[in-house]
Amino acid sequence: MEPIIQIKGVHKYFGTLEALKGIDLEIQKGEVVVIIGPSGSGKSTMLRCINRLEEFDEGSIIVDGIPLDTAENINAVRTEVGMVFQQFNLFPHISVLENVMLAQQIVRKRDKAEAEKVGMALLNKVGIPEKAKFFPGQLSGGQQQRVAIARALAMNPKIMLFDEPTSALDPEMIQEVLDVMVALAREGMTMVVVSHEMGFARACAHRAILMDAGQIIEQAAPDVLFNHPTHERTKAFLSKVLH
Amino acid sequence: MSINPIPSLPTPAAATFRTQKQERFDRWWIMVAAVVALVLLLIFLKPDPYKNLFLFVRDGIWRTTYITITSFALVAVFGLIAGLARLTKIKIIRGIATVYVEVIRGIPMMVQIIYWYFAFPAIVQELGRGLNIPSLMEFRPDGIVMAIFGLTFGYSAYMSEVYRAGIQSISKGQMEAARSLGMTYVQAMRYIIIPQAVRVILPPMGNELITLLKDTALVSAVTIPELTRRGREFSSANFNPIETWTMVALLYLVMTLLATRLVAYLEKIARYER
Repeated sequence: MEPIIQIKGVHKYFGTLEALKGIDLEIQKGEVVVIIGPSGSGKSTMLRCINRLEEFDEGSIIVDGIPLDTAENINAVRTEVGMVFQQFNLFPHISVLENVMLAQQIVRKRDKAEAEKVGMALLNKVGIPEKAKFFPGQLSGGQQQRVAIARALAMNPKIMLFDEPTSALDPEMIQEVLDVMVALAREGMTMVVVSHEMGFARACAHRAILMDAGQIIEQAAPDVLFNHPTHERTKAFLSKVLH
Repeated sequence: MSINPIPSLPTPAAATFRTQKQERFDRWWIMVAAVVALVLLLIFLKPDPYKNLFLFVRDGIWRTTYITITSFALVAVFGLIAGLARLTKIKIIRGIATVYVEVIRGIPMMVQIIYWYFAFPAIVQELGRGLNIPSLMEFRPDGIVMAIFGLTFGYSAYMSEVYRAGIQSISKGQMEAARSLGMTYVQAMRYIIIPQAVRVILPPMGNELITLLKDTALVSAVTIPELTRRGREFSSANFNPIETWTMVALLYLVMTLLATRLVAYLEKIARYER
């Protein structure tokens, strides 16, 4: 079966800095992939290339059969790919429920009643239906991130991208977000997750990838990569992160 | 060595801000009422010259109001276009917008108004003669139209900076979140960025309105009979500069104070709407 995400020879420059040095990666439908690596290794940049929030300079990316080339194709891909950000990026001027409804109405063209039904169902799913009428600023970080996941899911995406979803959270709020992500993984969602949450990786991921200096260094099943790394740079990184 | 005591934290910012706002709201209405009362007092207690003066400049007040409102409505639209043009990734459009803003900001408003009224029609007429197009040779635009045009052209440059700063104050993540949900750039602006930017933009936009109102006095230089020009006509016919200019100053003050109240009211709505 054709991979749902195909990344071929992607290079990305920030001025003279080469942030991505030729990335090749294929991700299958239903696969959960966790990307780890030191800061500045290009892992977030690569993730953001998949829905073209970041432009790349060379190479190609095909998502669900659609190449990321024209503006129309990019928008088509974006409607199929949900994204969760480190800083949540909820829309602060509208209520939680409206956050989950807005894109359904103006992008998916659902009527208000349907969008509200889908929105409430998703808020139930992430466990905070009682906050529907609140504004994002009135919620805790963990609650905001769960709303952000619900907002992305409301578009019925085929793929979910997570860009360090728990890095901005207080420790006691990390688990509630991870629980939602685990449930999503169990349902068979295709997920690409930039995160250092080893517990999540071990529990759900089919594959873990280590990136460093704009390259994929090593990839394997999480237990294999974490316990028996072959590459020196993987060993060096893991020794700093684990324990 | 003694340790400095930690300064006590201020009370929750939002709460104090709101009550202060409320109080100021009331106090400033008293100010408006006081100035209006003073004007009425002068008119009724000393009809000569104040009542005559007021009746004489009344059409000037309307013209000033009309020029202000029309120009400002246009400035609100063209300023937004210019502000967005300064933010676009398309280099040529951004370049044109930047040059426009820099040029306009470097030329006194008075000179700009005179330019549009005297020089611009002359240029069009020259062009008409050169190209032999009779309609251009006869180009004589209405004075008030050129005054509004000049003010709009100038103030849109200032306003574009207000819009630009307001839009830039919204974090980049908001645009990214909107785009990642499949919204187009225009949809993201319309539903996400601008509604948030409005709250940032309203106070400086109010300042622009008040400055524009006062700068309409400049168009008296190009024979538009607005409040200042009518005042000058009355003063030179009746030789009473003290009374005339006191009254004109008070009338401007009433208008600017009312405009300030309007802006404060809009800010209040924007804040409570969230």
